[in-house]
Amino acid sequence: MPDPIYLDHSATTPVRPEVLEAMLPFFGPRFGNPSSTHRWGREARVALDEARERLARALGAHADEICFTSGGTEADNLAVIGAWRALRQSRPAIVSTPIEHKAVLAAVHEIESEGGVVRVVDVSADGIVDASSFAAAVGDDTALCSVMWVNNEIGTVQDIAALTGAARARGALFHTDGVQALGKVAIDLRSLPVDYLSISGHKVGAPKGIGALFVRRGAPITPMMYGGTQDRGRRPGTENVAMSIGFARAVELAVEEREAETARVRQLRDALEAALLAKIPDAVVHGRGAPRAAHILNISVPGTDSESMLMALDLQGVACSAGSACQSGSIDPSHVLTALRVPHEQAVASIRFSLGSLTTDAHVTRVAELFPALIARARKLSGLTTG
Amino acid sequence: MSRVLVAMSGGVDSSVAAALLVEQGYDVVGATMKLTCHGDELPDRPCCSLDSVNDARRVCDQLGIPHYVLNLEKAFGRDVVDDFVREYARGRTPIPCVRCNTFTKFRDLVTKADAIEARYVATGHYARVIDGRLHRGLDPAKDQSYFLWGLRREVLSRLHLPVGALNKPETRQRAAALGLELVANKPESQDICFVPDGDHVKVIARRLGPDDPALQPGPFVLAGGRVVGQHDGFARFTVGQRRGLPGGFGEAMFVVAIEPERRAVVIGPRQELLGRTLFAAELNWLDEEPRVGDTVLAQIRHRSPASVATVIDLSNGRLALAFQEPVSAISPGQSLVLYAGTRVIGGGIIDRSPRALPVAAA
Repeated sequence: MPDPIYLDHSATTPVRPEVLEAMLPFFGPRFGNPSSTHRWGREARVALDEARERLARALGAHADEICFTSGGTEADNLAVIGAWRALRQSRPAIVSTPIEHKAVLAAVHEIESEGGVVRVVDVSADGIVDASSFAAAVGDDTALCSVMWVNNEIGTVQDIAALTGAARARGALFHTDGVQALGKVAIDLRSLPVDYLSISGHKVGAPKGIGALFVRRGAPITPMMYGGTQDRGRRPGTENVAMSIGFARAVELAVEEREAETARVRQLRDALEAALLAKIPDAVVHGRGAPRAAHILNISVPGTDSESMLMALDLQGVACSAGSACQSGSIDPSHVLTALRVPHEQAVASIRFSLGSLTTDAHVTRVAELFPALIARARKLSGLTTG
Repeated sequence: MSRVLVAMSGGVDSSVAAALLVEQGYDVVGATMKLTCHGDELPDRPCCSLDSVNDARRVCDQLGIPHYVLNLEKAFGRDVVDDFVREYARGRTPIPCVRCNTFTKFRDLVTKADAIEARYVATGHYARVIDGRLHRGLDPAKDQSYFLWGLRREVLSRLHLPVGALNKPETRQRAAALGLELVANKPESQDICFVPDGDHVKVIARRLGPDDPALQPGPFVLAGGRVVGQHDGFARFTVGQRRGLPGGFGEAMFVVAIEPERRAVVIGPRQELLGRTLFAAELNWLDEEPRVGDTVLAQIRHRSPASVATVIDLSNGRLALAFQEPVSAISPGQSLVLYAGTRVIGGGIIDRSPRALPVAAA
């Protein structure tokens, strides 16, 4: 079999050598606990503070606005539940969308079970939040709005600045899940008035298990965990020093390289998309009519099913994904495509290619050959079974 | 190298099946079928739980083969669980594993095999395929051919059952020898996978609601019609059952029939369980269809020997058999499987007889 091709960068990415190098001393000689008063502690504390500063600087934030978490899910939970709990007495409502990551959807669900008022806004068939539906949903009772910046399944990019403005006009706070936006779109928290932003390390070459929540100065947050006073009490527990340092390095690199890398990836993605659409004229590319991040291609071919296609692709060495994988690894129909009112036969046939650092021209050329061939065979089979 | 798609439950049988196929030089691909989702409800269940999927994945990793999870929850709910509940509501005792093999498991396995260009499919059932025909497994204590009569012949022509020639201790030994410690000593799965605690009434109540007639009180009656007590729902009973019946008859009483029309559970002494004739429908033939007058070996439940019987009618998709010696507890909803020696000829679902005439009265 030819070399395997990894087209699942939105699921996770390999740790970058620069990141690994930055982390290594903190697994070894510089192992101290940042809360300790002795030299080991001081050394760790200084390194952690530096990492926080560097990460903040890369995003246009202040160091004290960065709260390290275990990843994107914890950051989303902390923002959504933490902000709502802080404000629920005067503002019981929360506004979100049906195409959020499950870390936000489930947090919103939790708020509902705690007596919160939940309003879910409409999205267009291309996966863009409807501005008037959003404006109508935000009221004087709204504590927080949460809208994902770059959709993890179809790659559509929301106009976060405009949505934040609409939220602010009613005195509501605004959170965005920026996990897929980091390194893909320009993030400058000096000009973008969001109150909270979630990011995750392993999507940008840092390890799994580290993420961060940006909490703008003055934005309230009720901690989710109880313990020590680490991270200003927002996130008790001994800090993950090594990974925080690795994460800061990864974010710096992602921001530095963003323009060149997104241009390269966009060209590859567009080439793959064009080739697949040329060979499979009735294929549907989700989110195609909307602003879309450079790295995601979500395509459905009626008459096929994601589960079989993923198996067939994997056996040919091509890794990609579909819908949302459940804990067992089985595939459930995507809640995002369902919310976009995508017809059933397309929703069960969706395949997400997510390109990134490992992707080359040769990969795109090979998948542009292979995918249509697998599709043709799958359709021939389904033709046989359905008569 | 021929590719084979193996259905892997995470148990010892299918794990060894996969390992044997790897040894035989096949290009093996493992797949676990997710039939029901219990989440964290049932951490220790040997079948269908998340742990089982994880175990199957680990075994595949150890064998160096790919593993996939196939989501069959919807089809399983529709074709197996709904049918299970419907059958109980009709006063019958279904075997969901037969329905699953017939309508869900093998059908999807073959579809997925086609999708990945696998010529063969395989499972860990104790049965054998010899020259395209289905035979009993060599170990009489483990033989599972009874559950496989509903397969389509096309499936049989590409089916491998690698552990069918082993007995259970041998299978466990193979697992241990192959280093599959994870599964070598796993307990057998006993219950129905979607009836986690063995309480099928709970499943019926959840699907049909507690007010369904099958779960409402009704009379215990004797064959002559005399009412001798009240039960709390005929779906709780099955033909041959002894538990939960009224006493005071001077001899053990058994359920001899269930009559959903009047919600009656008919009870009687052991000899009333005996019957000579049997009717079956939903027939499927894995071999040449028998003819009226043929003598066959007929098995009417998983754990009982086959009995000699004669085909007395086969028309309009229904089969009638006359047993040479009376058999006990012919239960509507269970499977009838016909054998010639060890070979499975075919089978069907046992139907209610125009009243399975007790031998005493016949």
